[in-house]
Amino acid sequence: MEDVVTESPPPSRFFQEDLDNFATPPPPLPPPLLLLDPKLGPDHIRPPLLIVALSAPSLAVLHRIPHKILIGTLILPETPLAGNSLEPCPRDRSCYIYAVDHRPASAVLVAVQFPVAAERARAVAKSLLGAIQAERVLIFGSIGSQNYRGRLAVDETLAFKLETVEERSGGQPLVQGVDYLPSGSVMDGLGAAVIAECQMRRAKGTLVATWPANGRSTVVPIIRSLLQGLSIDVGASDADDEFDAGWSFSSRYVSDLYT
Amino acid sequence: MEFTLEEGRNLSADCPSILLPGLSIGNVGQLAVDLLISSTGAKRVGFLDEPSLLPCVGNDAYGPEPEGVLALPLEAYESPPHALTLIQQRSPVIKGMMVEFAKNLADFVSSIGKKHVIILSSLDSGRMKKIVASSDMQVYYVSSTNNDGNDSDCERLGFKRLEEYDPTQRRWKYLNELAEGKTDHEDEPSFEDELVHDDYYPGLPFAALFSCCKAKGLKVTCLLCYCSEGDNIADSFQLADAACKLLRLTPDKLSGHVEGGWNIPLSWQSVYGPPPDMSLF
Repeated sequence: MEDVVTESPPPSRFFQEDLDNFATPPPPLPPPLLLLDPKLGPDHIRPPLLIVALSAPSLAVLHRIPHKILIGTLILPETPLAGNSLEPCPRDRSCYIYAVDHRPASAVLVAVQFPVAAERARAVAKSLLGAIQAERVLIFGSIGSQNYRGRLAVDETLAFKLETVEERSGGQPLVQGVDYLPSGSVMDGLGAAVIAECQMRRAKGTLVATWPANGRSTVVPIIRSLLQGLSIDVGASDADDEFDAGWSFSSRYVSDLYT
Repeated sequence: MEFTLEEGRNLSADCPSILLPGLSIGNVGQLAVDLLISSTGAKRVGFLDEPSLLPCVGNDAYGPEPEGVLALPLEAYESPPHALTLIQQRSPVIKGMMVEFAKNLADFVSSIGKKHVIILSSLDSGRMKKIVASSDMQVYYVSSTNNDGNDSDCERLGFKRLEEYDPTQRRWKYLNELAEGKTDHEDEPSFEDELVHDDYYPGLPFAALFSCCKAKGLKVTCLLCYCSEGDNIADSFQLADAACKLLRLTPDKLSGHVEGGWNIPLSWQSVYGPPPDMSLF
Protein backbone atom coordinates (compact mmCIF):
# COMPACT_ATOMS: atom_id res chain seq x y z
CA MET A 1 0.00 0.00 0.00
CA GLU A 2 1.37 3.38 -0.89
CA ASP A 3 2.46 5.65 1.89
CA VAL A 4 -0.10 8.44 1.92
CA VAL A 5 2.47 10.82 3.35
CA THR A 6 5.13 10.37 0.72
CA GLU A 7 3.27 9.19 -2.36
CA SER A 8 3.19 11.48 -5.37
CA PRO A 9 0.41 14.00 -5.30
CA PRO A 10 -2.40 13.49 -7.79
CA PRO A 11 -2.01 15.19 -11.16
CA SER A 12 -2.01 19.00 -11.19
CA ARG A 13 -0.99 19.19 -7.58
CA PHE A 14 2.37 20.61 -6.59
CA PHE A 15 5.04 19.77 -4.13
CA GLN A 16 5.97 22.90 -2.22
CA GLU A 17 9.54 22.70 -3.54
CA ASP A 18 8.24 22.84 -7.10
CA LEU A 19 6.79 26.28 -6.39
CA ASP A 20 9.80 27.66 -4.53
CA ASN A 21 11.25 30.80 -6.09
CA PHE A 22 14.53 30.13 -4.31
CA ALA A 23 15.03 26.52 -5.38
CA THR A 24 18.40 25.97 -6.99
CA PRO A 25 18.18 26.06 -10.78
CA PRO A 26 19.19 22.88 -12.58
CA PRO A 27 22.76 22.77 -13.90
CA PRO A 28 22.94 23.87 -17.55
CA LEU A 29 23.31 21.04 -20.02
CA PRO A 30 24.92 21.10 -23.44
CA PRO A 31 22.39 21.32 -26.27
CA PRO A 32 21.30 18.12 -28.03
CA LEU A 33 23.64 17.08 -30.80
CA LEU A 34 21.92 16.23 -34.06
CA LEU A 35 24.14 14.60 -36.65
CA LEU A 36 22.95 14.16 -40.22
CA ASP A 37 24.78 12.56 -43.14
CA PRO A 38 26.55 15.51 -44.83
CA LYS A 39 25.81 13.96 -48.24
CA LEU A 40 22.07 14.43 -47.73
CA GLY A 41 20.19 16.30 -50.35
CA PRO A 42 17.50 18.85 -49.59
CA ASP A 43 14.80 16.17 -50.03
CA HIS A 44 15.81 14.60 -46.76
CA ILE A 45 16.08 17.85 -44.85
CA ARG A 46 12.73 19.07 -46.20
CA PRO A 47 10.78 15.84 -46.58
CA PRO A 48 7.04 15.76 -47.21
CA LEU A 49 6.58 13.88 -43.94
CA LEU A 50 8.49 13.56 -40.67
CA ILE A 51 7.43 10.68 -38.42
CA VAL A 52 8.59 10.71 -34.79
CA ALA A 53 8.13 7.41 -32.94
CA LEU A 54 8.12 7.70 -29.16
CA SER A 55 5.88 4.88 -27.98
CA ALA A 56 6.96 1.24 -27.82
CA PRO A 57 4.34 0.07 -30.36
CA SER A 58 5.34 2.78 -32.85
CA LEU A 59 9.03 1.93 -32.42
CA ALA A 60 8.21 -1.71 -33.08
CA VAL A 61 6.42 -0.77 -36.31
CA LEU A 62 9.11 1.66 -37.39
CA HIS A 63 11.86 -0.92 -37.03
CA ARG A 64 10.04 -3.27 -39.34
CA ILE A 65 9.72 -0.69 -42.12
CA PRO A 66 11.78 -1.97 -45.06
CA HIS A 67 14.06 0.02 -47.35
CA LYS A 68 14.93 2.63 -44.76
CA ILE A 69 18.37 4.21 -44.72
CA LEU A 70 20.09 5.47 -41.61
CA ILE A 71 20.83 9.15 -42.19
CA GLY A 72 21.55 10.51 -38.76
CA THR A 73 21.27 10.41 -35.03
CA LEU A 74 20.43 12.71 -32.13
CA ILE A 75 22.58 12.51 -29.02
CA LEU A 76 21.78 13.83 -25.58
CA PRO A 77 25.10 14.21 -23.73
CA GLU A 78 23.53 13.14 -20.45
CA THR A 79 22.27 9.82 -21.88
CA PRO A 80 24.79 7.03 -21.30
CA LEU A 81 25.64 5.04 -24.42
CA ALA A 82 27.06 2.05 -22.58
CA GLY A 83 25.69 -1.15 -23.98
CA ASN A 84 24.74 0.29 -27.35
CA SER A 85 25.74 -1.70 -30.39
CA LEU A 86 27.64 -0.38 -33.39
CA GLU A 87 24.78 -1.12 -35.78
CA PRO A 88 21.34 0.36 -35.13
CA CYS A 89 19.49 -1.86 -32.75
CA PRO A 90 15.96 -1.39 -31.43
CA ARG A 91 17.16 -2.04 -27.87
CA ASP A 92 19.80 0.67 -27.92
CA ARG A 93 19.41 3.85 -25.96
CA SER A 94 19.70 5.91 -29.09
CA CYS A 95 17.75 8.16 -31.38
CA TYR A 96 18.04 6.99 -34.96
CA ILE A 97 16.99 9.04 -37.97
CA TYR A 98 16.08 7.19 -41.14
CA ALA A 99 14.93 8.11 -44.61
CA VAL A 100 12.41 6.15 -46.58
CA ASP A 101 12.46 6.86 -50.26
CA HIS A 102 10.14 4.16 -51.40
CA ARG A 103 7.80 5.65 -53.98
CA PRO A 104 5.13 6.94 -53.86
CA ALA A 105 5.77 8.07 -50.34
CA SER A 106 8.96 9.40 -48.85
CA ALA A 107 9.49 10.34 -45.28
CA VAL A 108 12.06 10.86 -42.56
CA LEU A 109 11.60 8.60 -39.55
CA VAL A 110 12.91 9.35 -36.06
CA ALA A 111 13.05 6.50 -33.56
CA VAL A 112 13.49 7.92 -30.06
CA GLN A 113 14.70 4.95 -28.04
CA PHE A 114 15.65 6.65 -24.79
CA PRO A 115 13.64 8.56 -22.23
CA VAL A 116 13.80 12.31 -22.66
CA ALA A 117 13.36 14.25 -19.44
CA ALA A 118 10.53 16.74 -19.59
CA GLU A 119 13.01 19.55 -18.93
CA ARG A 120 14.94 18.57 -22.10
CA ALA A 121 11.99 17.91 -24.36
CA ARG A 122 11.76 21.43 -25.74
CA ALA A 123 15.44 21.48 -26.69
CA VAL A 124 15.14 18.10 -28.46
CA ALA A 125 12.02 19.24 -30.33
CA LYS A 126 13.75 22.41 -31.50
CA SER A 127 16.79 20.42 -32.64
CA LEU A 128 14.70 17.97 -34.65
CA LEU A 129 12.39 20.50 -36.26
CA GLY A 130 15.17 22.99 -36.83
CA ALA A 131 17.17 20.45 -38.84
CA ILE A 132 14.33 18.55 -40.54
CA GLN A 133 11.74 20.98 -41.89
CA ALA A 134 9.02 18.67 -43.10
CA GLU A 135 5.80 19.74 -44.74
CA ARG A 136 3.94 17.64 -42.21
CA VAL A 137 4.91 16.07 -38.90
CA LEU A 138 3.38 12.96 -37.36
CA ILE A 139 4.22 11.96 -33.81
CA PHE A 140 3.31 8.68 -32.12
CA GLY A 141 3.16 8.81 -28.34
CA SER A 142 1.47 7.04 -25.46
CA ILE A 143 -1.32 8.21 -23.22
CA GLY A 144 -0.08 8.65 -19.67
CA SER A 145 -2.48 7.33 -17.06
CA GLN A 146 -1.67 10.30 -14.82
CA ASN A 147 -2.71 12.73 -17.58
CA TYR A 148 -5.89 11.07 -18.79
CA ARG A 149 -9.11 12.20 -17.16
CA GLY A 150 -11.18 9.19 -18.13
CA ARG A 151 -10.87 5.55 -17.16
CA LEU A 152 -8.08 3.48 -18.64
CA ALA A 153 -8.51 -0.27 -18.59
CA VAL A 154 -5.44 -2.39 -19.38
CA ASP A 155 -7.49 -4.53 -21.73
CA GLU A 156 -8.86 -1.57 -23.65
CA THR A 157 -7.16 -0.06 -26.70
CA LEU A 158 -7.48 3.66 -27.27
CA ALA A 159 -6.16 6.04 -29.90
CA PHE A 160 -6.62 9.80 -29.96
CA LYS A 161 -5.07 12.64 -31.87
CA LEU A 162 -4.18 16.29 -31.50
CA GLU A 163 -3.49 18.58 -34.45
CA THR A 164 -1.99 22.00 -34.91
CA VAL A 165 -4.27 24.77 -36.15
CA GLU A 166 -2.63 24.60 -39.58
CA GLU A 167 -3.22 20.85 -39.85
CA ARG A 168 -6.88 21.22 -38.86
CA SER A 169 -7.52 24.00 -41.32
CA GLY A 170 -5.37 22.67 -44.14
CA GLY A 171 -7.83 20.43 -45.97
CA GLN A 172 -7.74 16.65 -45.66
CA PRO A 173 -6.25 15.62 -42.29
CA LEU A 174 -3.17 13.43 -42.26
CA VAL A 175 -4.73 11.05 -39.74
CA GLN A 176 -8.37 10.09 -40.27
CA GLY A 177 -10.72 7.93 -38.32
CA VAL A 178 -9.19 8.84 -34.93
CA ASP A 179 -11.03 10.99 -32.39
CA TYR A 180 -9.52 14.03 -30.73
CA LEU A 181 -8.10 13.63 -27.24
CA PRO A 182 -10.95 14.42 -24.81
CA SER A 183 -10.90 17.91 -23.36
CA GLY A 184 -9.33 17.95 -19.90
CA SER A 185 -6.80 15.21 -20.69
CA VAL A 186 -3.30 16.22 -21.67
CA MET A 187 -0.14 14.88 -23.23
CA ASP A 188 3.27 15.81 -21.88
CA GLY A 189 6.90 15.05 -22.58
CA LEU A 190 8.64 15.00 -25.94
CA GLY A 191 5.47 14.37 -27.96
CA ALA A 192 3.90 17.50 -26.50
CA ALA A 193 7.07 19.48 -27.09
CA VAL A 194 7.28 18.45 -30.75
CA ILE A 195 3.68 19.33 -31.59
CA ALA A 196 3.95 22.56 -29.60
CA GLU A 197 7.04 23.47 -31.61
CA CYS A 198 5.10 22.66 -34.79
CA GLN A 199 2.42 25.09 -33.64
CA MET A 200 4.92 27.82 -32.83
CA ARG A 201 6.33 27.40 -36.36
CA ARG A 202 2.79 27.31 -37.79
CA ALA A 203 3.57 23.91 -39.27
CA LYS A 204 1.18 21.03 -39.89
CA GLY A 205 1.57 18.59 -37.04
CA THR A 206 -0.39 15.63 -35.67
CA LEU A 207 0.18 13.77 -32.41
CA VAL A 208 -1.36 10.31 -32.17
CA ALA A 209 -1.61 9.08 -28.59
CA THR A 210 -2.33 5.42 -27.92
CA TRP A 211 -3.07 3.19 -24.95
CA PRO A 212 -1.83 0.89 -23.52
CA ALA A 213 1.75 2.12 -23.65
CA ASN A 214 3.14 -1.35 -24.33
CA GLY A 215 0.13 -2.68 -26.16
CA ARG A 216 2.00 -4.13 -29.06
CA SER A 217 -0.60 -6.72 -29.94
CA THR A 218 -3.45 -4.22 -29.97
CA VAL A 219 -1.87 -0.87 -30.82
CA VAL A 220 0.59 -2.00 -33.47
CA PRO A 221 -2.18 -2.85 -36.00
CA ILE A 222 -3.62 0.67 -35.53
CA ILE A 223 -0.28 2.31 -36.22
CA ARG A 224 0.41 0.02 -39.18
CA SER A 225 -2.98 0.88 -40.63
CA LEU A 226 -2.40 4.64 -40.21
CA LEU A 227 0.98 4.44 -41.94
CA GLN A 228 -0.37 2.26 -44.73
CA GLY A 229 -3.03 4.92 -45.24
CA LEU A 230 -0.16 7.32 -45.89
CA SER A 231 1.30 4.91 -48.47
CA ILE A 232 4.19 3.98 -46.17
CA ASP A 233 5.32 0.39 -46.69
CA VAL A 234 5.33 -1.06 -43.16
CA GLY A 235 6.61 -4.48 -44.15
CA ALA A 236 5.06 -7.82 -43.24
CA SER A 237 3.22 -8.13 -40.01
CA ASP A 238 4.31 -10.73 -37.55
CA ALA A 239 1.52 -12.34 -35.59
CA ASP A 240 3.92 -12.97 -32.76
CA ASP A 241 5.29 -9.52 -32.78
CA GLU A 242 7.20 -9.75 -29.51
CA PHE A 243 9.68 -7.36 -31.04
CA ASP A 244 10.64 -5.28 -28.09
CA ALA A 245 11.83 -1.86 -29.01
CA GLY A 246 12.27 1.32 -27.14
CA TRP A 247 13.56 2.32 -23.79
CA SER A 248 10.49 1.32 -21.81
CA PHE A 249 11.43 -2.30 -22.39
CA SER A 250 15.18 -2.02 -22.63
CA SER A 251 15.40 -0.01 -19.43
CA ARG A 252 14.66 -3.19 -17.50
CA TYR A 253 17.89 -4.65 -18.76
CA VAL A 254 20.18 -1.69 -19.26
CA SER A 255 22.35 -0.51 -16.47
CA ASP A 256 25.59 1.40 -16.39
CA LEU A 257 26.94 -1.45 -14.25
CA TYR A 258 26.76 -3.86 -17.14
CA THR A 259 28.27 -3.30 -20.55
CA MET B 1 10.06 34.03 -24.45
CA GLU B 2 8.74 33.89 -28.01
CA PHE B 3 5.26 35.01 -28.95
CA THR B 4 3.46 33.78 -32.06
CA LEU B 5 0.18 35.35 -33.10
CA GLU B 6 -2.61 33.03 -34.06
CA GLU B 7 -3.42 33.25 -37.76
CA GLY B 8 -5.62 36.25 -38.47
CA ARG B 9 -5.33 37.70 -34.96
CA ASN B 10 -3.68 40.79 -33.54
CA LEU B 11 -3.11 42.13 -30.07
CA SER B 12 -5.63 44.83 -29.30
CA ALA B 13 -4.53 48.26 -28.18
CA ASP B 14 -7.76 48.52 -26.21
CA CYS B 15 -6.91 45.99 -23.52
CA PRO B 16 -4.81 47.83 -20.94
CA SER B 17 -5.26 45.22 -18.20
CA ILE B 18 -3.80 41.73 -18.20
CA LEU B 19 -4.66 38.80 -15.93
CA LEU B 20 -2.11 36.13 -15.06
CA PRO B 21 -2.34 33.06 -12.85
CA GLY B 22 0.31 32.45 -10.20
CA LEU B 23 0.89 28.73 -9.70
CA SER B 24 -0.26 27.79 -6.25
CA ILE B 25 -1.94 25.32 -3.98
CA GLY B 26 -5.16 24.05 -5.51
CA ASN B 27 -4.33 25.61 -8.91
CA VAL B 28 -6.84 28.30 -7.97
CA GLY B 29 -5.30 31.05 -10.09
CA GLN B 30 -5.35 28.85 -13.18
CA LEU B 31 -8.94 27.75 -12.53
CA ALA B 32 -10.00 31.37 -12.08
CA VAL B 33 -8.38 32.37 -15.37
CA ASP B 34 -10.11 29.41 -17.06
CA LEU B 35 -13.42 30.64 -15.71
CA LEU B 36 -12.83 34.20 -16.86
CA ILE B 37 -11.70 33.17 -20.36
CA SER B 38 -14.74 30.95 -20.72
CA SER B 39 -17.17 33.50 -19.30
CA THR B 40 -15.93 36.57 -21.17
CA GLY B 41 -15.76 34.64 -24.43
CA ALA B 42 -12.15 35.74 -24.78
CA LYS B 43 -10.50 34.57 -28.01
CA ARG B 44 -7.03 33.14 -28.23
CA VAL B 45 -4.70 35.58 -29.94
CA GLY B 46 -1.38 33.82 -29.63
CA PHE B 47 1.00 31.30 -28.11
CA LEU B 48 3.99 31.89 -25.90
CA ASP B 49 7.03 29.65 -25.98
CA GLU B 50 9.03 29.72 -22.78
CA PRO B 51 12.10 27.53 -22.13
CA SER B 52 11.45 27.28 -18.39
CA LEU B 53 8.00 25.74 -18.87
CA LEU B 54 7.43 21.99 -19.06
CA PRO B 55 5.69 20.80 -22.23
CA CYS B 56 2.00 19.98 -22.15
CA VAL B 57 -0.71 19.95 -24.84
CA GLY B 58 -4.39 19.11 -24.93
CA ASN B 59 -7.70 19.64 -26.68
CA ASP B 60 -9.70 22.86 -26.44
CA ALA B 61 -10.38 23.56 -22.77
CA TYR B 62 -13.39 25.84 -23.23
CA GLY B 63 -15.85 24.36 -25.71
CA PRO B 64 -18.79 24.30 -25.96
CA GLU B 65 -17.67 21.23 -27.92
CA PRO B 66 -14.14 19.78 -28.04
CA GLU B 67 -13.39 20.47 -31.68
CA GLY B 68 -9.73 19.60 -31.53
CA VAL B 69 -8.29 23.10 -31.11
CA LEU B 70 -4.79 22.46 -29.79
CA ALA B 71 -4.11 23.94 -26.35
CA LEU B 72 -0.52 24.83 -25.49
CA PRO B 73 1.18 25.42 -22.11
CA LEU B 74 1.12 29.22 -22.27
CA GLU B 75 -1.46 31.11 -24.30
CA ALA B 76 -2.73 34.67 -24.60
CA TYR B 77 -6.44 35.47 -24.88
CA GLU B 78 -8.21 38.78 -25.37
CA SER B 79 -11.68 40.13 -24.80
CA PRO B 80 -11.81 43.67 -26.25
CA PRO B 81 -15.40 44.28 -25.05
CA HIS B 82 -14.05 43.85 -21.50
CA ALA B 83 -10.74 45.59 -22.29
CA LEU B 84 -8.95 42.55 -20.96
CA THR B 85 -6.05 40.31 -21.93
CA LEU B 86 -5.59 37.01 -20.13
CA ILE B 87 -2.68 34.61 -20.08
CA GLN B 88 -3.33 31.01 -19.15
CA GLN B 89 -0.56 28.73 -17.96
CA ARG B 90 -1.25 25.01 -18.07
CA SER B 91 2.01 23.37 -17.07
CA PRO B 92 4.52 23.76 -14.25
CA VAL B 93 7.76 25.69 -14.35
CA ILE B 94 11.01 23.73 -14.21
CA LYS B 95 12.12 23.59 -10.60
CA GLY B 96 14.46 26.46 -9.83
CA MET B 97 13.43 28.50 -12.88
CA MET B 98 10.50 30.42 -11.41
CA VAL B 99 12.25 33.78 -11.22
CA GLU B 100 13.56 33.36 -14.78
CA PHE B 101 10.03 32.58 -15.91
CA ALA B 102 8.62 35.58 -14.08
CA LYS B 103 11.23 37.89 -15.59
CA ASN B 104 10.51 36.66 -19.11
CA LEU B 105 6.77 37.02 -18.62
CA ALA B 106 7.18 40.51 -17.17
CA ASP B 107 9.37 41.46 -20.15
CA PHE B 108 6.66 40.24 -22.51
CA VAL B 109 3.84 42.01 -20.69
CA SER B 110 5.81 45.22 -20.67
CA SER B 111 6.69 44.89 -24.38
CA ILE B 112 3.04 44.72 -25.42
CA GLY B 113 2.21 47.91 -23.57
CA LYS B 114 0.02 46.66 -20.74
CA LYS B 115 -0.73 49.11 -17.96
CA HIS B 116 -2.11 46.98 -15.15
CA VAL B 117 -1.13 43.43 -14.30
CA ILE B 118 -3.48 41.43 -12.08
CA ILE B 119 -2.10 38.19 -10.66
CA LEU B 120 -4.53 35.59 -9.32
CA SER B 121 -3.19 33.06 -6.87
CA SER B 122 -3.87 31.22 -3.63
CA LEU B 123 -2.22 30.57 -0.28
CA ASP B 124 -2.14 27.54 1.95
CA SER B 125 -4.80 27.93 4.61
CA GLY B 126 -2.53 25.98 6.95
CA ARG B 127 -0.31 29.03 7.01
CA MET B 128 -2.91 31.42 8.33
CA LYS B 129 -1.82 32.99 11.59
CA LYS B 130 -5.33 33.38 12.86
CA ILE B 131 -8.55 31.91 11.68
CA VAL B 132 -11.70 33.96 11.94
CA ALA B 133 -15.20 32.97 10.99
CA SER B 134 -15.15 34.76 7.66
CA SER B 135 -11.49 34.13 6.82
CA ASP B 136 -12.29 31.63 4.10
CA MET B 137 -14.29 34.29 2.23
CA GLN B 138 -11.74 37.07 2.55
CA VAL B 139 -9.73 38.09 -0.50
CA TYR B 140 -6.26 39.44 0.20
CA TYR B 141 -4.15 41.66 -2.00
CA VAL B 142 -0.68 43.07 -2.54
CA SER B 143 -0.32 46.15 -4.72
CA SER B 144 2.60 48.03 -6.24
CA THR B 145 0.79 51.33 -5.66
CA ASN B 146 2.49 51.93 -2.31
CA ASN B 147 5.67 50.55 -0.79
CA ASP B 148 3.79 48.69 1.90
CA GLY B 149 1.57 46.99 -0.69
CA ASN B 150 -1.48 49.07 0.14
CA ASP B 151 -3.96 50.34 -2.45
CA SER B 152 -7.04 52.43 -1.71
CA ASP B 153 -9.11 50.93 -4.55
CA CYS B 154 -8.57 47.45 -3.16
CA GLU B 155 -9.39 48.61 0.34
CA ARG B 156 -12.61 50.16 -0.91
CA LEU B 157 -13.58 46.87 -2.52
CA GLY B 158 -13.22 45.09 0.80
CA PHE B 159 -9.95 43.29 0.02
CA LYS B 160 -7.49 42.99 2.85
CA ARG B 161 -3.82 43.83 2.46
CA LEU B 162 -1.62 40.78 2.97
CA GLU B 163 0.13 41.60 6.22
CA GLU B 164 2.92 39.17 5.45
CA TYR B 165 4.06 41.35 2.55
CA ASP B 166 7.06 43.17 3.95
CA PRO B 167 9.52 44.49 1.37
CA THR B 168 12.15 44.88 4.11
CA GLN B 169 11.98 41.19 5.04
CA ARG B 170 15.09 39.31 3.95
CA ARG B 171 13.50 37.12 1.29
CA TRP B 172 11.31 39.80 -0.17
CA LYS B 173 14.40 41.99 -0.43
CA TYR B 174 16.39 39.24 -2.12
CA LEU B 175 13.53 38.54 -4.52
CA ASN B 176 13.38 42.22 -5.46
CA GLU B 177 17.10 42.20 -6.11
CA LEU B 178 16.75 39.14 -8.34
CA ALA B 179 13.87 40.80 -10.19
CA GLU B 180 15.85 43.97 -10.75
CA GLY B 181 18.88 42.04 -11.89
CA LYS B 182 21.01 43.33 -9.08
CA THR B 183 22.04 39.84 -8.10
CA ASP B 184 21.60 36.25 -9.22
CA HIS B 185 21.04 32.86 -7.61
CA GLU B 186 24.77 32.35 -7.12
CA ASP B 187 24.85 35.33 -4.76
CA GLU B 188 21.98 34.00 -2.68
CA PRO B 189 22.49 34.91 0.96
CA SER B 190 22.73 32.03 3.30
CA PHE B 191 19.28 31.14 4.49
CA GLU B 192 20.56 28.28 6.59
CA ASP B 193 18.45 29.29 9.52
CA GLU B 194 15.28 27.36 9.86
CA LEU B 195 12.64 28.81 7.61
CA VAL B 196 10.38 31.17 9.47
CA HIS B 197 6.71 31.70 8.73
CA ASP B 198 7.32 34.88 6.76
CA ASP B 199 9.67 33.04 4.37
CA TYR B 200 6.70 31.20 2.89
CA TYR B 201 5.14 34.12 1.02
CA PRO B 202 8.11 35.51 -0.89
CA GLY B 203 8.92 31.95 -2.00
CA LEU B 204 5.66 31.60 -3.91
CA PRO B 205 5.28 32.11 -7.67
CA PHE B 206 2.92 35.07 -7.26
CA ALA B 207 5.68 36.89 -5.40
CA ALA B 208 8.14 36.35 -8.26
CA LEU B 209 5.61 37.61 -10.80
CA PHE B 210 4.77 40.58 -8.58
CA SER B 211 8.41 41.54 -8.03
CA CYS B 212 9.41 41.13 -11.68
CA CYS B 213 6.43 43.08 -13.05
CA LYS B 214 7.01 45.79 -10.47
CA ALA B 215 10.68 45.97 -11.49
CA LYS B 216 9.52 46.71 -15.07
CA GLY B 217 7.56 49.70 -13.80
CA LEU B 218 4.17 48.04 -14.29
CA LYS B 219 1.26 48.57 -11.95
CA VAL B 220 0.63 45.18 -10.32
CA THR B 221 -2.12 43.86 -8.09
CA CYS B 222 -2.07 40.36 -6.65
CA LEU B 223 -5.41 38.93 -5.56
CA LEU B 224 -5.08 36.00 -3.18
CA CYS B 225 -7.29 33.66 -1.24
CA TYR B 226 -6.50 31.01 1.34
CA CYS B 227 -7.49 27.46 0.51
CA SER B 228 -6.65 23.80 1.06
CA GLU B 229 -6.00 21.09 -1.51
CA GLY B 230 -9.21 19.49 -2.64
CA ASP B 231 -12.09 20.62 -4.81
CA ASN B 232 -11.01 24.20 -5.41
CA ILE B 233 -13.71 25.19 -7.87
CA ALA B 234 -15.45 27.35 -5.27
CA ASP B 235 -12.17 29.12 -4.51
CA SER B 236 -11.71 29.89 -8.20
CA PHE B 237 -15.17 31.47 -8.34
CA GLN B 238 -14.26 33.65 -5.39
CA LEU B 239 -11.04 34.81 -6.99
CA ALA B 240 -12.60 35.37 -10.40
CA ASP B 241 -15.35 37.40 -8.75
CA ALA B 242 -12.74 39.51 -6.98
CA ALA B 243 -10.96 40.11 -10.29
CA CYS B 244 -14.24 41.27 -11.83
CA LYS B 245 -14.77 43.71 -8.96
CA LEU B 246 -11.29 45.14 -9.42
CA LEU B 247 -11.85 45.50 -13.16
CA ARG B 248 -15.34 46.90 -12.64
CA LEU B 249 -16.88 44.03 -14.56
CA THR B 250 -20.22 42.51 -13.65
CA PRO B 251 -20.10 38.68 -13.56
CA ASP B 252 -23.78 38.49 -14.45
CA LYS B 253 -23.14 40.36 -17.68
CA LEU B 254 -19.78 38.90 -18.69
CA SER B 255 -20.97 36.64 -21.45
CA GLY B 256 -23.37 39.13 -22.96
CA HIS B 257 -26.15 36.55 -22.86
CA VAL B 258 -29.54 37.45 -21.50
CA GLU B 259 -29.26 34.83 -18.78
CA GLY B 260 -25.73 36.04 -17.94
CA GLY B 261 -23.66 34.35 -15.29
CA TRP B 262 -20.50 32.30 -15.33
CA ASN B 263 -19.76 29.97 -18.21
CA ILE B 264 -18.19 26.73 -16.90
CA PRO B 265 -15.25 25.62 -19.08
CA LEU B 266 -15.71 22.34 -20.91
CA SER B 267 -12.51 20.88 -19.42
CA TRP B 268 -13.95 21.21 -15.88
CA GLN B 269 -16.25 18.26 -16.56
CA SER B 270 -13.32 15.99 -15.82
CA VAL B 271 -11.02 18.28 -13.85
CA TYR B 272 -10.87 15.87 -10.93
CA GLY B 273 -10.93 12.70 -12.97
CA PRO B 274 -13.77 10.41 -13.95
CA PRO B 275 -16.74 9.74 -11.66
CA PRO B 276 -16.50 6.63 -9.45
CA ASP B 277 -17.12 3.28 -11.07
CA MET B 278 -20.72 2.57 -10.08
CA SER B 279 -20.46 -1.05 -11.18
CA LEU B 280 -18.78 -1.67 -7.84
CA PHE B 281 -22.12 -1.20 -6.12
